[in-house]
Amino acid sequence: MKAQSWSWASLWPFMRADAGWFALALGLTPVIAAIGVAQPMLLKQALDRHVTGGSAEGLGRDAGLYLAAVLAAFAVEAVYTVVTAVASENTILRLRHALVKHVLGLSQRFFEKQPTGQIMSRATSDIDALNEALAAGSISLVLDVITMLGVLGGMFWLDAKLALVLLLLGPPIAGVIELARRRMRALFAEIRDSLAALNAFVAERIAGIEVIQLFGLEARTRSRFDDLNDRYRRANVMNNVWDASLYAFIDGVASVAVALMLYWGAEHATDAITVGLVVAFLDYIERLFRPLRELSGKITFLQRAAAALEKIFGLLAVTDRITPGDSSVEKPSGHLVIRDLSFRYRPDGPDILDGVNLEVRPGEVVAVVGRTGAGKSTLVRLLSRVHDGYQGHIEVDGVELSRLTPESVRRAVGFVRQEVQLFRDTLSFNITLGDEKLDPARLAAAIAQSGADRIVSRLPLGLDQPLRERGADVSAGEAQIISLARTLARDPAIVILDEATASVDPASEKLLQEAIDRLFANRTCLVIAHRLSTITRAHRIVVLDAGRVVEVGTHAELVALDGAYGRLYREGQAATGTQQTA
Amino acid sequence: MHGAAAGMGNDRLKFTLRFSRAYVAPLWRWYLVGTLALVATNYLSVQVPMHMAAGLDLLRAGQPGASGEAYWIAVLGVLVIVARTLSRVWFFTPGRIAEFNLRGDFFAHLLRLQPDFYARQVTGDLLSRATSDVTYARAFAGFALLQAGNVVGSAVFGVGQMLALSPQLTLAVALPCVLAFGLMQLATRQIMHLQRQMQKHLGLMSDDLLGAFSGVATIQGFNVERVFQSRLDGRAQDLRRTSLAMTRLRAVAFPLLGVAGGVATWGVLFVGGGAVREGTLTAGQLAAFIALVAFIVMPLRMLGWLLPVLQRSEASLERIYAVLDAETLRPGALPSPARAPSIELRGLSFAYGERPVLRDLCTTLPAGATVGIYGPVGSGKSTLLRVLSRLETPARGTVFVDGVDVLDLDLDAYRAALCVVPQAPFLFSETIRENVGFGAPDEQVRGAVAAAALDPDVAALPDGLGTVVGERGIALSGGQRQRVALARALLREAPIVLLDDVLSAVDHATEQELIGTLRSRAGATRVVVSHRLSALVHADFILVLDAGKLVDQGTHDELLSRPGPYREAWLAQQVAA
Repeated sequence: MKAQSWSWASLWPFMRADAGWFALALGLTPVIAAIGVAQPMLLKQALDRHVTGGSAEGLGRDAGLYLAAVLAAFAVEAVYTVVTAVASENTILRLRHALVKHVLGLSQRFFEKQPTGQIMSRATSDIDALNEALAAGSISLVLDVITMLGVLGGMFWLDAKLALVLLLLGPPIAGVIELARRRMRALFAEIRDSLAALNAFVAERIAGIEVIQLFGLEARTRSRFDDLNDRYRRANVMNNVWDASLYAFIDGVASVAVALMLYWGAEHATDAITVGLVVAFLDYIERLFRPLRELSGKITFLQRAAAALEKIFGLLAVTDRITPGDSSVEKPSGHLVIRDLSFRYRPDGPDILDGVNLEVRPGEVVAVVGRTGAGKSTLVRLLSRVHDGYQGHIEVDGVELSRLTPESVRRAVGFVRQEVQLFRDTLSFNITLGDEKLDPARLAAAIAQSGADRIVSRLPLGLDQPLRERGADVSAGEAQIISLARTLARDPAIVILDEATASVDPASEKLLQEAIDRLFANRTCLVIAHRLSTITRAHRIVVLDAGRVVEVGTHAELVALDGAYGRLYREGQAATGTQQTA
Repeated sequence: MHGAAAGMGNDRLKFTLRFSRAYVAPLWRWYLVGTLALVATNYLSVQVPMHMAAGLDLLRAGQPGASGEAYWIAVLGVLVIVARTLSRVWFFTPGRIAEFNLRGDFFAHLLRLQPDFYARQVTGDLLSRATSDVTYARAFAGFALLQAGNVVGSAVFGVGQMLALSPQLTLAVALPCVLAFGLMQLATRQIMHLQRQMQKHLGLMSDDLLGAFSGVATIQGFNVERVFQSRLDGRAQDLRRTSLAMTRLRAVAFPLLGVAGGVATWGVLFVGGGAVREGTLTAGQLAAFIALVAFIVMPLRMLGWLLPVLQRSEASLERIYAVLDAETLRPGALPSPARAPSIELRGLSFAYGERPVLRDLCTTLPAGATVGIYGPVGSGKSTLLRVLSRLETPARGTVFVDGVDVLDLDLDAYRAALCVVPQAPFLFSETIRENVGFGAPDEQVRGAVAAAALDPDVAALPDGLGTVVGERGIALSGGQRQRVALARALLREAPIVLLDDVLSAVDHATEQELIGTLRSRAGATRVVVSHRLSALVHADFILVLDAGKLVDQGTHDELLSRPGPYREAWLAQQVAA
């Protein structure tokens, strides 16, 4: 994957619709800065002209001006905060929408390479980081810069010499702050790392708790934990010391400034150091330091956001998707022909499928069997279009599968997978998947045919029962039945059933068996079969070995042949240890 | 106190109090010096404005001495920096110590909890208790206590000094500040409510995202992308709505104290201005007053956050104590058998919640015998082994080891007398050496690895025994993992050996080799579960389970002589041989 960096500019298309709000927020920043710079001046004016000197007349007016400035600042800043938030939340909403849309269209191959957790991070914590940066980051940085410039300007305007003297404090203070920040950055990294190590350790030990208990490892585990826990503690304590010092130091700057001003006033015996000036300068110094104090936090936000931006747009740039075709088949009859199908995962790798020929005629039930590695799962993957780039043909009613529109593919081929994905929603949703276009009659028929009606009557809330993770509300076997119902509800021309290998509890086994019986009686099926009961019910059995079809026939015929199928059959008996009735 | 706090009775803070007694109180020395530092900080801080007042007045009067005040201020400034730093360190460090101890105790307790506790938990939730909930508790022990102290300190010294200067001005300042504080508290309550809403929406959205991303194959296969997209859009909208509501409220509420400070300053100008002109207050003192207003506003702001922090830490501590109070394994006291014991089951029944798994098992496993267990899926074989290894707790009077009820045996000693290989081996993200030996001497580890027929595999790995496996390391095959678990168990010479289907992932030759190794370890009562009857042939006797019931038992030959599931299975497996 080529390394490409995305700048903030890539965010612009998502911001564009709210450009007006962003502009307003930006436009308000000089206003806020101006009011902020004006306030201390008004205060000084009131003090010097009417309190410590001058006349009492006008105090009300000048004091009133100051109050007006305070209230105006409040109002404008509130508007600014809300406007910024609205604009960034809207932007994030659009970005999230685009991300989800993109991800839902990526090929399954992509998902096999990426842990789901990582993709989740993009859509959750990475987007949150961007949100923070947009709302509290970039524009407020502009505000901070303008404010600081304005404050400096104000200070110089009031008393240039004093301002200069005070600014001499600047570099040493900046130096100390930088030193502290550098040290703390290293400590932050240590905190992050030690916390991650701690979390990983706890998570793994919880998962392996039984091993720990069985082997009496409690003491050893506790001791390892204490080391990690201590490492985390020490990193934090060290960080606290630096943090506290920095905090106190920045706080203490004001006092030093006051001392300097008094000293200056005393040594140079000027009249310029009035009460008003001192108060004003104190205010300015506070306005200068507030953003500085928050600066490192904001920079961290922005850094995190920049990293998040890279990852999000990196994901958005992934083009790993299957291109849908554009031919349609209106009423597929369920005729599947596989001719000379060959496939290899890597150009220099072995052929996993080597010239497979297979035909399923409407109304037939064909079972595909073979050892692990024979190519059965690859066959399924090609049929479900996880991969393209095969040689040979997969044709549905004469049309190449890769050329069909997604709609047509769905009408023609329905999959019942090994791993059933149950969603945290009602049983009804898990069957319909929210598709309103499903024919209600067909849906009801699917529920009955698959045996799901038994599940409906078993659950207290029936179809409206919310399902949690598998096992909590439905057993593994029942999950497979729901999966079957899902597919049948769409009434596909062919059902491709990829049987689960794990054994199920006897009650579900029976339900499943009955469902499969009904399925076979009514539909064209291609079954990747593992259960003997399933295999023997097929009209034809196709045996795959090392990517080729080696035997074809009925169960009786193939057993008599005593070839590849015969061997498989006997081994199957041994593995389950029971005689399954054919 | 204030309106919001009044609703909180003492019992609402009961977990915080418990935590304080157990973890915070022992650290009182830290808090004591921290408090002293706080007192110093606040006292000294208040002196600065006073010296500034003096200096300013001297300047205005044209008298010397302002430089002297300047020096004093500089010195005070440095002292305040030191005192403030110390106060923070001396409050935050005990917070970290309390966190360390709480987390340690929490984890130690986790290690001793029963499997039925774990069955009811979600790992992610437990993890968050161990990490972020403990963090919130620490926020109480560190930050909250510091701020509380700071508020008191600044109130006493700051307000005290203001009163000393001018009671009328103090009133003028107090009014807007108290008003703003009250409004902020109201807003804070609502903000916390919105915060919880946001968490809820965030959780819902995460759930839906996880479901959607995990189920992409299904979603694409059924062409229902639109459905999921609009659901997720809906969640995102909910989140945005709540977030904006919170921002709007914050935009108005947060600056309130700052505004109050400004209003107070205006009040000071007015009332104080008049006083200065009258001569009841010096100009310098007025300036000092303005500085004092700024001084007390910050802690007031912090005070507003104390309540939410307290609420949060209480909620977190409740979750933590839910685990700390959960029942651990009952230890029992009697010593465990040193030699191979007999194991007797008297009417052993067991259920997972509502679902019965073992029904009324009665049998005796003689001392030193090798007992095989055979049965189809779901017959309860693994559960039986779990009960025997005391991962599950049987009822009293159902399981006896050498005539003693197993519940009366010291649990740790009993476990030490076991050698267990469970069905699904769990490997830690550690080296193979660690996964097998857990710190045992290398000699022993090598011996166990050899006995488990794992030698060739280890030799093929880049770092041999030091190879890291698991999530961050190399992925072993199913059979290799099983043999690592076997090696782990073989490391001990234990009087009771429990093996759950350990040979299913190895080929026939290796299976025979391993069976030979196991048999050569004399002096143990062995219970072997297997699907492959070839592993059970030489057992002293075999139990046949079906749906939790003992349907047959006997030696291999006896069982073959009767019609039944055992014989049928044997015949079927013979065909394959």
